[in-house]
Amino acid sequence: MISALYRILTIGRNTLTEAVRQKVLNVLLIFSIVLVGCSVLVSQLATPGLDSAGLFDAQIKFVKDFGCGAIGLFGFFIALLSTAQLIPQELHNRTIYTILAKPVRRSEFLLGKFLGVVLLLALCVALMSLAFAATLYWQELQGLQATKAAYTADPHWQSNPVVVNLYNHDVASIHQQTRDPQIIEAILLIFAKLIMTSAIALLISTFATSSIFTIVTTFMIYLIGHMEGTARAFWLANGAHVSLWQSGLVGFVSLLIPDMNSFTIVDEILAGNKVPWSHAFNLLGYADVYLIVLLAVSIVIFDYREI
Amino acid sequence: MEIPASTVSTCLPLAHRLRRAALVALLLGLWAPAKIVWEQRIAHEQDVLRYGGAPMTLHLRDQLGQGLTIGVLSGMRSVVADFVWLSVTTSWMTEDWWQMGAEINLCTALQPRAPVFWDMGGWHLAWNASIAAMEDHTQPNPLRRLKASRFWIDRGRDIYLRGIENNPTNWQLWRDTALLYDQRLKDFRTAAYYYQKASEQPNAPIYLERFSAIMYNKVHANDDLSAYVAWKALWERLTPEERQMKQHEGDRIEKEIRGLEQKLSIPKEKRVFPN
Repeated sequence: MISALYRILTIGRNTLTEAVRQKVLNVLLIFSIVLVGCSVLVSQLATPGLDSAGLFDAQIKFVKDFGCGAIGLFGFFIALLSTAQLIPQELHNRTIYTILAKPVRRSEFLLGKFLGVVLLLALCVALMSLAFAATLYWQELQGLQATKAAYTADPHWQSNPVVVNLYNHDVASIHQQTRDPQIIEAILLIFAKLIMTSAIALLISTFATSSIFTIVTTFMIYLIGHMEGTARAFWLANGAHVSLWQSGLVGFVSLLIPDMNSFTIVDEILAGNKVPWSHAFNLLGYADVYLIVLLAVSIVIFDYREI
Repeated sequence: MEIPASTVSTCLPLAHRLRRAALVALLLGLWAPAKIVWEQRIAHEQDVLRYGGAPMTLHLRDQLGQGLTIGVLSGMRSVVADFVWLSVTTSWMTEDWWQMGAEINLCTALQPRAPVFWDMGGWHLAWNASIAAMEDHTQPNPLRRLKASRFWIDRGRDIYLRGIENNPTNWQLWRDTALLYDQRLKDFRTAAYYYQKASEQPNAPIYLERFSAIMYNKVHANDDLSAYVAWKALWERLTPEERQMKQHEGDRIEKEIRGLEQKLSIPKEKRVFPN
């Protein structure tokens, strides 16, 4: 058991090293960090010339939305590209034969490869989150400076308790939005969604013959996954009252495709609404179990695959 | 000795293929019902917590266009709403009020739980659009200008009220509605009600507590009795320590109550400040 874990870790580490050396992924990472930084510029467009009026809610919302949006979007591309080429590349370079000729099970090989992608995603999300935190901090400083400037326009403002109270409330409001601990919850959910996407790509790549097929199919499943909730609701409500092929189609989507749309709860967090940790853990648990099922199916298919 | 599956590299016999298919079907067959139940539970929780925006319909798709629709379907609803908001800002700057109104509706439909869209959307309509209509000198008839101005105020109020419906605990939206009744409609009694509701919401600033009573002071019919009831209720709600705190303005509340008790000739035994 320990030796199997060691082999998985070794393969995972090598996969991470290979991925880090890939220029495409590095370029994607750099672009994502630039985009996260640029969210500040976009936020300025939301409320042009209104800084002094204390309208920071919209700007902070924009920074959070675009920051997390960039993490999600580029994370998706990184997950997709890095996973889709895992097995085809090994086959193309014929390195898989060398590895499987050693006492390494196919399941260990597959789990090691997946671990490498998870580590890569963790690294990328951590770097993008750092850039996001820096951007948010910068936005906070801008907000605090403008708020102070607006109040200090009246030199006697500190002698009026009502104005002081208003100032303190405005400052607390900016802090509340930029230092919201729920942002960690949002990033965790984005990460879970990325890992699920990666597991889907891995599953497809176990029987696919090309990376392009894996990328296109995973992308389609990802899109359909956002409509799975609609399909499920329709199937459960009308499954018996529609034609067989309609019922079969939505039933297939409902039973096999993961519900990606549930993870858009991140939008609620970023809008400042409270999402209880119990709900986030429920979603993370769902992602984990789905991950186990996807990996188990991948192992079964890969175990029997003709190489 | 049986050859482990992991070392098989020759063409798979049919039995192996069937066994693989059966295993995959078994795994997915076991998971699928549990998946549906779990997803339904998550969806129910999200419904209870009032998350999610308007469902993607043909109408919404036509309003968004193809690119932004794909964005929404890819789970980028908030980013798409933000992009639409940039159009709101452009429409505001070009004073294209009808376009702006439609875009505000689109933003709020996409993210009904984002108070900032309701907050700023209502302000754009009830203040910016209505004031622009009032100052529109291409319309020579002042009554028509007034009517147009009132039309935009009503649209703004509608945005605030729908915002409150979607975000009932957001003090800013209650405050915005109160401000609209106070400053744009001069309906101080209704403003008092909304200020009162605003002050009851979580994280509401302390000054809102007094605004409800101040509104009664502003009522044209000199509704001193309502003002007295409001000031008295506020005084009784504050603890003795809070009454001493500057931000609660205890001395002002006391002064208002004393003045009203005098004006209304409240019997001494029923006064808050008999002396």
